[in-house]
Parts: sequence; C-alpha cells; structure tokens
Amino acid sequence: MHPQALQLKMQPIPLKPKHEETIVAAVDTSSIKIGETSTGTLIAIRGANVWKQNRKYRYIRLGPFIFHITEENKRELYNTLQKAYFNSPHENNHQSSPNLLQMPTRMANLLERWLQTMLSKTISNGLILFDGSLTSGTADTPIKLMKEILEIARKRGNIVLAFSKMTNLRFNGQLITDVLPVHKPPYLLETAGMKTKPPIVLFGDVYVARLTKGNYAFRLDIDKEVSFEQKMEAVEKLLGNDLLSQSYPETLRLAHILCTFTANEVIAMQHFIAQKYGVKIINRPDMHRLLFGPFGKGESNS
Amino acid sequence: MKLYKKEGNVIQILSFPNETVEKGDYLLIDDAEAGKALITQVIDVQFANIPGILEELLRNLPDGGELMQGEDFDPLEIAPHITYIQDASLLVCKIRATVENESLSPSSSWLPSRSQSTIRKLQIPALIKLAKIDGGLPIVLGGTKDSSLLTIDASSLDGRLNIITGKKDTGKSHLSKLLILSMIGYKATVFVFDLNGEYLSLGMTADGKRNAHYDKIHVLTPSENFKVALKQLNLHVLLDILIHALHLPGTSAREFRRIWQSLKERDMLNMHELGEAIRNWHCNQHVRDALFSRYYALVNSGFFTDNIAEATFLEECLLKAKEQGGAIIINLRNTSPIDRQIVVEYLLAKLVELLTSWRLKAIFLFAEEAHLYLRDTYWDDIVTRMRHFGIFTTFITNQPDTIRENIYRQADNIFLFNFTNEHDLEVVSRAARVDAETVKSIARDLPPHYCLALGRVVRDFPMVVKVKALDVKTLGETRLFFRDAD
Repeated sequence: MHPQALQLKMQPIPLKPKHEETIVAAVDTSSIKIGETSTGTLIAIRGANVWKQNRKYRYIRLGPFIFHITEENKRELYNTLQKAYFNSPHENNHQSSPNLLQMPTRMANLLERWLQTMLSKTISNGLILFDGSLTSGTADTPIKLMKEILEIARKRGNIVLAFSKMTNLRFNGQLITDVLPVHKPPYLLETAGMKTKPPIVLFGDVYVARLTKGNYAFRLDIDKEVSFEQKMEAVEKLLGNDLLSQSYPETLRLAHILCTFTANEVIAMQHFIAQKYGVKIINRPDMHRLLFGPFGKGESNS
Repeated sequence: MKLYKKEGNVIQILSFPNETVEKGDYLLIDDAEAGKALITQVIDVQFANIPGILEELLRNLPDGGELMQGEDFDPLEIAPHITYIQDASLLVCKIRATVENESLSPSSSWLPSRSQSTIRKLQIPALIKLAKIDGGLPIVLGGTKDSSLLTIDASSLDGRLNIITGKKDTGKSHLSKLLILSMIGYKATVFVFDLNGEYLSLGMTADGKRNAHYDKIHVLTPSENFKVALKQLNLHVLLDILIHALHLPGTSAREFRRIWQSLKERDMLNMHELGEAIRNWHCNQHVRDALFSRYYALVNSGFFTDNIAEATFLEECLLKAKEQGGAIIINLRNTSPIDRQIVVEYLLAKLVELLTSWRLKAIFLFAEEAHLYLRDTYWDDIVTRMRHFGIFTTFITNQPDTIRENIYRQADNIFLFNFTNEHDLEVVSRAARVDAETVKSIARDLPPHYCLALGRVVRDFPMVVKVKALDVKTLGETRLFFRDAD
C-alpha cells in the first residue's frame, strides 16, 4: 500500500441507527501453541460464529482442533486442509510452506475463511462481520477465496463489514483512527486514494468508524461492490440491531471471546494429549529468562 | 491426588473430581523410598487456583447474566477435560503425625517426595488401630463418616478435664448422657449438676420403661429429698456459702464464726438454735441484721433441716454408687440462682471432704452451664486443686465464652459441636490440644449431632463422629406454645 496516497475526508458521514430487523453475524478464530514435542509443535485452533437474531445471541463453536505439526508434515497438512475445504491447493507454492512458528496463525486463518464461507452461504439479507480487513492476496487470504466469499454473500443479500482492531494506515503522519473530528458519533470518515501493490488486492472501501461516544474508532472495510447507500444502510442497520460498546460490535466481541483459549483450556488440552496419545510435551527453557534473568521478558513477550 | 505444597505443618494437596475427599478426612502421604508416611487431616477444601478460570466463567455469561445459547462442536471431546481441570480442588491439610515402622511420632520435620509419594485416604478404623485409640474400657461414641464406629477408651476421661460445647440443639446433652451411662457401666461415680432437669430420666427408656441403669441413677432434688443438717457441715463450708453465695461481709462473718463455735461447744448446731443465737448475740445491730437476712435465706432455701434422718440420702447414694457405680443427678431445675449456689457450694465442699478422707476414690462431675452456679474462684480450683483430689470435671455449655480461657488451655478433651459464630469459634480455638484452623474450619460445617472430638480421647487426631442414639427418655425439652397446634 502507499500510505502517502491515502486521503481521509474529514467531513463526517453522520449515521442514524436503523432498527429494521436484520441478522448480525460474526466470525472469529484463534490459535494457540500448546507445547513442543521432540519433533515439532502442538497447536490448537478454534473458531466461533455468533449471530444475533430476535434480540438473542447464539453461537456455534468449532473446536478445539489439535494438530501436531512437524517439519515433515506441515506442508502436507496445510495443503490437504486447503484442498479439502476450498478445493484448491495453495496459489503460491513459495508461500505454501510456512515455518513452524507461523503455522498456528495459518491454520486458524484457514478455519476462519471456511467459517466465513459457511456464514455467507447460510445467512441472507444480513450483516456479516469479519475480524480484520478485506485485503487479500496474502498467504492466508487467496484472492480467489475472498472474492468468492464476498460474491456469495452479495448474492444472498448480505453485506460484509470487516472491523480491524489495529491499523497501520496513516494520514498526515497520524493513524487514521486517531484523527477524529469534533462531531457527535455515530459517524464514518471516508478514505480515498488507497493503492495496493500486487498481488495484494483490496476488496473493500476503507472507512474510519466511530460508532459510540468515547475516543474509540476502528478501520472498517465494507464490500466495494455494493453501493454507497447500501454501505451506509448496512452500518446503520448494525447500529440498530447490535449492541455497540467502545465503537465495537458485541457480536464480533462475543465471537472473539468464545474462540479465545484460556490458560485452563490449554492445561486441559495438555492433559488430553498426554492421556489419550501419551505425547510427551517438552518444557524448553526460556532462553531470555535464562540469559537475562529479571531483565529477560520471556520469549513470548519479546 | 498430588502433593502440591508444604508450609509449616500445612500441606496442600491437589485433588481431582473423581477423588471424593471431605473436610475432616485423613490422608496418608506415603513416601515408599523414605520408608515414612505422613498422616494429614483435611481441614479445608478449596477450588484449585486454575489459571484462566475467571475468563472461562465470564465468557459463558455475556448476555445480561443469562447463559448464551449455542452449540459446541468438539470432535476431540476436550470439554470433559476442561471440566476435570476446572473442578480440581485444593485440599488444605494439617500434618498430624509421621508413621515410621508402624509407630507414630508427632514429627512433621521431613518432606515427602512430591513426585514419588502416593496419597490415599486413611480410613478411620485403620487410624484408630494405628493410634491405639480404643483401649480396655471402650465407649462407642458413634459412627464416623466412613461408616465405622469411633470407640474411645473410658480411661482417657479419667483424671481429665473435658469440655462439651456447641450451639443450642446440636446434641451436647445427648453426648454427655452417653458418656455418663458408659462411665457408670464401668462402675464410676458420676455427679451431674442438672440445670434443666434433662438427666432425671437417665434410668428410663424412651417409652418410659426402666432401663438397665435404673438402679444406678439417683436423682437428688434440693429441699425435697436432698437436705443437710448443720451438724453435717464444717464451719468453713457454711462460711463459704455465706460469703460467696450470700455475700456476707467480713465483720459479720467473724461474728458468725463466734456464734457457730458457741453452738458447737454446746452441741446445739441446728437451724432453730442458730436463729435464736443470732437473735440474742451481743453485737452491732447492723451485723445482727446482716446475719439474720442470711439466716432466713438459708431457712427459705429449704435445703437445711434439723432432722438428721432427712439428711442422709446423699450419703446413701454415694455409698451405692461407690460399690456398683452410679450417677447422682442434682436436680437444679426449679432452684433459684442463690439456692443453686448454696447447693453447689455445699456439694463441692462435701465432695472434697469425702475425697480427702479417701471415703471416695474419685468422681466424674458433669456441670451444665457452670457459670450460672459456680463462683469465680472455683474455676481454677476445679482444674487444679480439686482435680488432684479426684474430681474430674466435664463442662457442658452452649456459651463457650462463659468458660475461662485457662480452662480451655488445660482441657484434655473437647467435644465440639457446631458453631457458626466467629466469636464462639475463636474462644474454643484457644484450646491447647488443637490448632485454631482445625477448630474453626471443621466445627463450622458440622451437622447437628455430629461432634468433633479433640484431645486425649482421640490421641490428638481430631475426629468427626455422629453421636450414637440412646434409648433414654428425653426430658428438659423446651416448652413450646405451638406444639399442640400440630
């Protein structure tokens, strides 16, 4: 992307909550490293779909799925899942063998895309909330796949809204979510002139969404292919159908909470692996702590 | 179960949901390599501090406090493992003894192996055998939680100071009746200060028939079948009554001593002559008035008689009890507080006299709510001097703070029923034979009729027991207004 080219229109687009009954659904996944074995690493992934219908939140949670990933099986494992669920081996073979450290995120992304596909296929005339942006062409998000997801969603009358908790996009040197005009929320700020370098493709129009009081704002990507009016109406329906706290939709927050692993669950999975498969987890010493003592933050925090 | 932590004489053990351990249970931590084992007792069961548990609980309640509806697709069935970890508990245990070569020592100075030790429940019968709790004179107290019987040795009450305490309606009197009947079964002489008339029917079965102990139960009701003649009294006993129960001032007491000696020299020690002597005695009018008011208090108590034949029942009962064992129940139910003190002063003095002269070997005294009739100076007397004479007291109270701290410190055995009040537990926890945490933690959760036995009777292994039922007629129940309405 070319940050210099990014323009942020400081004229807010005011929004009015629209209470027309609309399903709001969200997807999120998470991954965690459970431990290391002598040959590789043990990871777990889990995903959750949450939707709000008739003023009630409901969910489907898939997982945890536990994988023992080694240098030997990582490519086969990834490609097999890719093929099985999206009927396509990886587009860019040079990227298809992530290193072991990246594997938890890559596996979770695979599950996330599958959940997003399922949601866009099953919901109609609703709002589908993604965690992140609508950028594709990365190792995790093939262009073809994202395109398909958005097309299916559109066909069924759904609109995809993607909320990014973090953004690197800057305008005049400041993060776009920090440049907020003095205006009563809810409102959107429109961006323009965003360009990407191949193979990266942007499937959404990027906005800054400040939906509630307080100084929280998020990058919001909305499917490019829908009209401006539809986009605005979608955000207004979101305001009228979901709870929003700190400018963030509750449905998406719940999806995140439901799939996140707690320490308790990690212990339970370690217990399961040891009991059922007799896999021995190795406790490798934390080299940061070992070398730097109290000055070592620990590998996970470094 | 896994050994987690040891701090001082407290051991923390991690326990999993399939292992059912409760407060009061005993655990044996066996370190085969060291050839030793620790006997510990669970004094508290807590949730194990599992990381992430708060998040786990919070995320299931996001929808205004209601559980969120949803489906979990958990192909590997991890959920039971999560529950297993979540429900893990931490057993806080007190070290009671070390077993080495089948002998016990109170040591807790060694550390069993955390990785190699095995931990298992120690059943009460095994512990009783190991600690040699049941002796030659067994008294079955009742059943323990693992359905075995807790049997103590009657000799562990011999020469000892005991306390039975707990809040109302938890079974204190029931236990004291059980102990009394068991003691007289072994031919002991038992004295009971019965404040509410609860022990009067110890010789009757629940359906009102005579039981095996009928002939050994002697009920003495002051001013009815229990009277004394002045001739039977020593001056110091009567002075004790006058000074301590009737608050006679010192000057008047001195005059009374002279009157007494004068009557004794003339062999005229009786109530009538005493009254006449006070009337005609040359002394200050105030002194005379003081003596007269006390004299009439003695007369009005009805406890004193000039008829020697009326005043022999106590001696007769004692003689019988000495030969075949027996309980002498002093019925203080309808006795006024002052008369109660007069009777108790007399009895304690009489008992000391009988024991000093070896006409009695020793007696077991059961005193209910003793603060209502025992004067302050007697408390120390009972645990020191009188004990050496052979008066072995058991205090029974539902107000533990009415018993002095030094009594708790010197108590050899405590039978503790349920208390929920922190203050009450604090008082009892001052007992020297057990740690405060055990008392506070276990006693708070005791159901009615369950008692925590502490001290010598259980060889300092605190044990919870459900006191066994007795086929004895119940008296002294609280009168209720609505009873007939049922």
